Amino acid sequence: MRNPGGHVRITSPDGIREADSFTCRHCGAIRIVRAKERPENLGGLCRLCMGLVCPACVALARCDPLERKLERAEAAYEARRSYGMI
Amino acid sequence: MAVYNTSNDLGGTQQNLSTSYKTIVSVLAGAVPRRGFISDIIIGADGTPADNALVFTVMRQTADDGTKTNVTPLPVDPADPAFTGLSRANFTAEGTITATSNLLSLAINQRATFEWASAPGSSLVYPATANAGLVVRAKSPTYASTVIARLEVEE
Repeated sequence: MRNPGGHVRITSPDGIREADSFTCRHCGAIRIVRAKERPENLGGLCRLCMGLVCPACVALARCDPLERKLERAEAAYEARRSYGMI
Repeated sequence: MAVYNTSNDLGGTQQNLSTSYKTIVSVLAGAVPRRGFISDIIIGADGTPADNALVFTVMRQTADDGTKTNVTPLPVDPADPAFTGLSRANFTAEGTITATSNLLSLAINQRATFEWASAPGSSLVYPATANAGLVVRAKSPTYASTVIARLEVEE
C-alpha cells in the first residue's frame, strides 16, 4: 500500500511472509493489509480527520480520533489528581 | 524521544501458556506519567518446536495490578535516561484489562516468529495517566510452554 503505517513479517520454516499495516486513526488498532485485499474490507478513510480507520470504527460512523480520546483521558486524570482523588 | 526495549526475558520466570489469556509483558505510564509509544513488537515461542497454534493479542491495561515481575526496560542508547514508566512481565494472575481494547490480534504457528514495526506516527500509544498502558497477552489451545515478547517503547 502507499504510505503504510507499519510493516509485518512472519518468519517460519515455510519462509518469510510480509505485509503492510496501518494503524486506525480512531482507535489505534493495527490492521494488517494482506496482498490484493479488497480496500472496502480494510475499513475506510475518515473524511473529517483524513485518517485510515478500521472496519469497527467505520461502523460507528463518527469521527473521534485517538488523539482526542487520549486528551480526554489525560484531562480526566489531571482533574482527579487536582482534586486529591488519586 | 528515547527508545527502550522491554521483554519478559528481562526478569522473573516465564510462565507456561494455557487455554486462557496470560499476560506476557506490559508497559505502563509511571507515577509522573508520560505518553508511551510502542513502535516495534516481536513475539515467538521458545519451547520445543512443534506445530501448535498460538494466539497473541495487544490490549490496554488501566491499573498496575495482577501478580507479576517488575522489569526495567533498557535504553537503546546507553546515554539516555532511565525509563520513567513501568514494565511488568510474566504474569501469574491477570491485571485489569480493558475488554474492548483489542489493538492487535493474531494467530501463528508455534514455529513462527511475528514482527511488527510501525512507521513514524503510527505507533501504539498509551495516555499520560498513571498506570495506564499496553499489554501483550497469549494463549494456546495445545501449547503449554513459554513464549517471549519484546516491545520497543518510546517516551
